[in-house]
Amino acid sequence: MVEQASVVRASVVVAVAVLLEAVLGPYLTLGYVSPKFALIGVVFAVSPLRDLQAILLGFFGGILLDSLGSGLFGVGALAGLAAATLASRVGAVQRRGTERVHLAQVVAVSVLAYDLLGWLARTLAGLGSPPFAEYAVAGILPDALLNAALAYLVGGWLLKLVNPKKTTWEST
Amino acid sequence: MGRRKSSAASGLAALCALCVVSLVLFTVYVKEGDCSVQGECGPLHTVQLGAAEVLQPVRGVVGALFSPIRETADRVGHAFDNSEEEQLRVRVRDTEALAAQASRLERENERLRGLLNGQRVAYEYGPLARVVAPVGDQFTERIVINVGTEDRIKDNQPVVVGENTLVGRTTDVSRNTAQVLLLTDRMFAAGVRIVPPAEFDPASDEISSAVTAENVPYGQGMLKTSLEGYLGVDYVNRGLRTEEGDYVVTSGRAGGRDLLDPPGLYVGSVESVTSQDIDQFKKIVVDPAMNANDLEDVRVIVGWAGQEG
Repeated sequence: MVEQASVVRASVVVAVAVLLEAVLGPYLTLGYVSPKFALIGVVFAVSPLRDLQAILLGFFGGILLDSLGSGLFGVGALAGLAAATLASRVGAVQRRGTERVHLAQVVAVSVLAYDLLGWLARTLAGLGSPPFAEYAVAGILPDALLNAALAYLVGGWLLKLVNPKKTTWEST
Repeated sequence: MGRRKSSAASGLAALCALCVVSLVLFTVYVKEGDCSVQGECGPLHTVQLGAAEVLQPVRGVVGALFSPIRETADRVGHAFDNSEEEQLRVRVRDTEALAAQASRLERENERLRGLLNGQRVAYEYGPLARVVAPVGDQFTERIVINVGTEDRIKDNQPVVVGENTLVGRTTDVSRNTAQVLLLTDRMFAAGVRIVPPAEFDPASDEISSAVTAENVPYGQGMLKTSLEGYLGVDYVNRGLRTEEGDYVVTSGRAGGRDLLDPPGLYVGSVESVTSQDIDQFKKIVVDPAMNANDLEDVRVIVGWAGQEG
């Protein structure tokens, strides 16, 4: 039962997710919490792909996010890499029927990594960043939980989108 | 199996290489020119400016779509808040806003008449700019406006709503767009003075010489959003006069040097003042006059009387 995954389809999903985050993200930001469409897109799009394809797609998705946003360049790329690596590992070992739950957890960890990287990068660059304890409690944790819930809600639909239908000889 | 192992090994190698590339990109971005000086714009900043320019129409459409949703949300919020005191406060605020608007319109009329008569005005404004959309992330508060270098807009120029209510400062200016770093952003800072209501009329763009003169007894300091998230004025000596309800205006000069903003731009009013015996400075919280959610049209001040350079 080898599942075919279209790299082109996955790339389109990532690109649309990044565009959504760049355009809609600022309207949906509440304090430190905001929907991370790009990371959700990366996690679900690369999960059926092979390691190298997943990592490359995660990286370039992150680069696109950095280019369309106004934040520090490189943070999105690193976060995309982390998300893609985790998703491809989980995709390689998961059992059928539980993908959505596992990938929602991957989204939570990826958002956690993204927020941490963002905070660290701003601190290293000498830009204003909030105290870590406050940011961890009011920012990172709720952000990770919210995005995991969002990923669980849209995950089924995203998985159907990135996994093309099986050919007839595979089903038999 | 061999193929799978080879894929995993190449994946690991690619992961390490791309991590290094990401760190290099971050370092280059932080070190390169950030476009604040003419002609010193690094490649990564140029990419972001280009992307902002390309995305402007999409952001404009989304902004227009979100506008009624925001208004509805505001109305719903007000509908649930039916305490009489709050309603009276809202009514007073609306009345004040109407009075200020009437006064502004009157002054606008005078200013236009003055322009027609060839008289000089205090500030030189760029063209009226429409707020396209908010941008940024959880750490920044920025908006995009639809004027850029083609409209003589440069980096670090003050942006106002009405005649003189400070909104923020331009940054990342491209050909047809500019980002505005709002005064509530943690990276925004400005030299300000705290003046009693008797000395300043927020609806006016005139400021008395008593306020702009050096060595006045009014509080002076640096306007900045603190790490805790409130807008405040830092470094105001305990001995200087500052009271709740006082107005906060830009000082224009500090230590004999010109600052980025002209004097007399209205920032907001003092919400609270506290001081402790062990502190040299007062802790001042400011209620900003501008509301980022209500911004529609703004103007960039491209020059002012007495500006150096």
